[in-house]
Amino acid sequence: MNFAICAAATVAALVYVFYLPGKLFLGPKNTRASYLRERKEAVYENLRDLNFEYKAGKLPEADYQSLKSSLQDEAATILAEIARLESAAPAQSRRAKV
Amino acid sequence: MAQIGSFALLLALALGVYSFLAGLVALIGQDQGYERLGETARRAGIVTFAAVLLAAVVLVAAAFHDDFSIAYIFHHSNRDLSAPYKFAVLWSGQEGSLLFWSLLLAAYGFVLRLRNKTDPRLFAYASVVLAGVQVFFLLLVNFAANPFGLLQGSIPADGSGLNPLLQYPEMVIHPPMLYLGYVGFTVPFAFALGALIMKYPGEKWIHITRRWTMVTWGFLTCGIFLGAHWAYSVLGWGGYWGWDPVENASLMPWLTGTAFLHSVMMQEKRGMLKVWNMWLVFATFWLAILGTFLTRSGIISSVHAFAQSSIGGWFAWFLGISFAVFLFFFLKNKSHLRGEHKLESLISRESSFLFNNLLFVLLCFTVLWGTWFPKISELVQGNQVTVGGPFYNRVAIPVALLLLLLTALGPLLAWRKTSFESLKRNFFWPAVGAVAVAIFLVITPQSWGSVFGLKPWKDISYFYSLMAVGLCTLVTFTVASEFYRGGRVIAKHTGQGMFASMVQLTHRNTRRYGGYIVHFGVVVVIIGFAGAAFNQDKEQEMGYGDKMTIGSYTLICRSYTDEENPNYSSQWAILDVYKGGKQIDTLTPERRFYHASQQTSTMPYIRSTLNEDLYLVYEGLNQDNGHPILKAHLNPLVMWIWMGVWIILAGTILALVPNAPAPVRVAAPKLVETAAPVGAGD
Repeated sequence: MNFAICAAATVAALVYVFYLPGKLFLGPKNTRASYLRERKEAVYENLRDLNFEYKAGKLPEADYQSLKSSLQDEAATILAEIARLESAAPAQSRRAKV
Repeated sequence: MAQIGSFALLLALALGVYSFLAGLVALIGQDQGYERLGETARRAGIVTFAAVLLAAVVLVAAAFHDDFSIAYIFHHSNRDLSAPYKFAVLWSGQEGSLLFWSLLLAAYGFVLRLRNKTDPRLFAYASVVLAGVQVFFLLLVNFAANPFGLLQGSIPADGSGLNPLLQYPEMVIHPPMLYLGYVGFTVPFAFALGALIMKYPGEKWIHITRRWTMVTWGFLTCGIFLGAHWAYSVLGWGGYWGWDPVENASLMPWLTGTAFLHSVMMQEKRGMLKVWNMWLVFATFWLAILGTFLTRSGIISSVHAFAQSSIGGWFAWFLGISFAVFLFFFLKNKSHLRGEHKLESLISRESSFLFNNLLFVLLCFTVLWGTWFPKISELVQGNQVTVGGPFYNRVAIPVALLLLLLTALGPLLAWRKTSFESLKRNFFWPAVGAVAVAIFLVITPQSWGSVFGLKPWKDISYFYSLMAVGLCTLVTFTVASEFYRGGRVIAKHTGQGMFASMVQLTHRNTRRYGGYIVHFGVVVVIIGFAGAAFNQDKEQEMGYGDKMTIGSYTLICRSYTDEENPNYSSQWAILDVYKGGKQIDTLTPERRFYHASQQTSTMPYIRSTLNEDLYLVYEGLNQDNGHPILKAHLNPLVMWIWMGVWIILAGTILALVPNAPAPVRVAAPKLVETAAPVGAGD
């Protein structure tokens, strides 16, 4: 009885591990562009927080303007790099096709 | 039965080794189409869980069937043990608890591997790291501490029984909670190391592990406080925390884990502290393993060490190897962890997180040093020098007070920098409120209760208590002001009532406002700790009709007796409790003698109120006259600790709820044509 249980468990395990019908899902590869999009979202989130804290009366006007401007600069820098990468990508794929 | 259990463990080991090695080969050769090999490794990891689960089920079944041919069951169970404790046999001894560790790790791995579609490549790396840790624990349970080892000689009719100290309801849930916490920190570590090895671009691994880390932290918090409550209710010394090495072992990963939960926000929001966070994740994992080692090896003597064994060498090797592997990849890929911003001002949210982290790490180092000092002194001097509560309290209390101050300040500070005007605007009224409460506590009469009429100049512990209550008030006011200000903005925009607006506010950013509720829970816990400065105790022999007075209570011994049941025999006293001349309760402290294990255990009787606990211990009988000796403790504010834990857990659960979408739109900034590249992530 014990032997039968152990044998059945082994066979079931081997079948599950090694029987792989169909194609595998590999997912998209993470690139610098995907990383930058992630950073963009984080900076937008920071801007939303800042706006909310300003409306809640936690920040004086001068502090708010200064922090908002630095966050907008950061977002703009990220957007610029994303744009550069996206414009370079089609050119690279055209060269690859040629 | 033992054969099936042993086979299941061997099968789990084979699958774990395959999952690790095949996964490793697949990652090394991922550009040469080794994906199918990687998939078999993932699946082997999934089946490992099934095999370990089978082994655990067999062990529990053996306990319920009183199969004393298995040595572990003989040593940790007996026929008259009640069903919940037979279930708890799984984690009551060394071999079983290591199997339980393996089971929980396999369960976490099972969930992780099923969710791999989020990011298959990152999950593949994390899966290999997890498999490596899993193999270590499976090696242990197969070759060093096998729970299915057979008893030599004839099979006895009954077992030795479970340690009496463990026969308490909380002991059925305390170890699983603690272990879920310990084991769970392997997941963020696996993702962190995986991300470091593959130079993962971005912080997605943090988003993936954020909930894992919070859940794990919640379990560990719950486990630590259940342990404290168990110590308070069972050990009979009147306290809940004794800086015992095993208590410390659970506290250390909690401290670094808490630091990580805070500092990780800096990485998410500002791309800062990447190196620090990587080390914090590793330290938390490493300390969790060290904690398991301390609990299970008996290397340092402790009232909680329920095992003495020779598995220390295995753990030492594993701790060494894991450190070496982490250090190697850290040195190899540290350029990838370049921060994107620098600290701009000392008065900013970032700096408050940084100081918070430094304090947590300082406290952790103090606890680590104090815990290992007896062993170090033994190696150096030849005799163990133990360090007690005063050593830890000298550092822990001031650090905790500073952490409270930062808890109050942090939410009021802006990211990047905060002007003095902003600080004054946010901090002035909460500070006035806190000072007013502190003055009120000093000038009120002592007859109002334990924490009133405080005279901080009389004793340093009174001073600390006053500071703690004052700072707790400050935190409460700042947390309340965060809810009020946020709620007011929403109320203005939506026209809803204040309470509905605050609920909506919380739902929009559950992590932040759940976190504030956790902070409030910590405040309640600290108020409970502050009550310890006013503890009183008294020991007295109590014959029929004898009186004892402690605080405002008078205890009169009505009777004392003994009782027998199949599992234990007990002696207990019946005492009437009077307050203000009126009888308010009857208490029955007890002392038990367990037949199977031939051990005694006290069952203190605790009368808990919001103001104070009356804690009675039956210490034994005076052999000359047969009168019971009783010890009474009066412990103010202890109930606040347990209430605070519930609030902490409620806040943690709230923080795990997904956010409602935010309706506020942000105008897109214009592109900068000539800009420097942004941070790391190449």
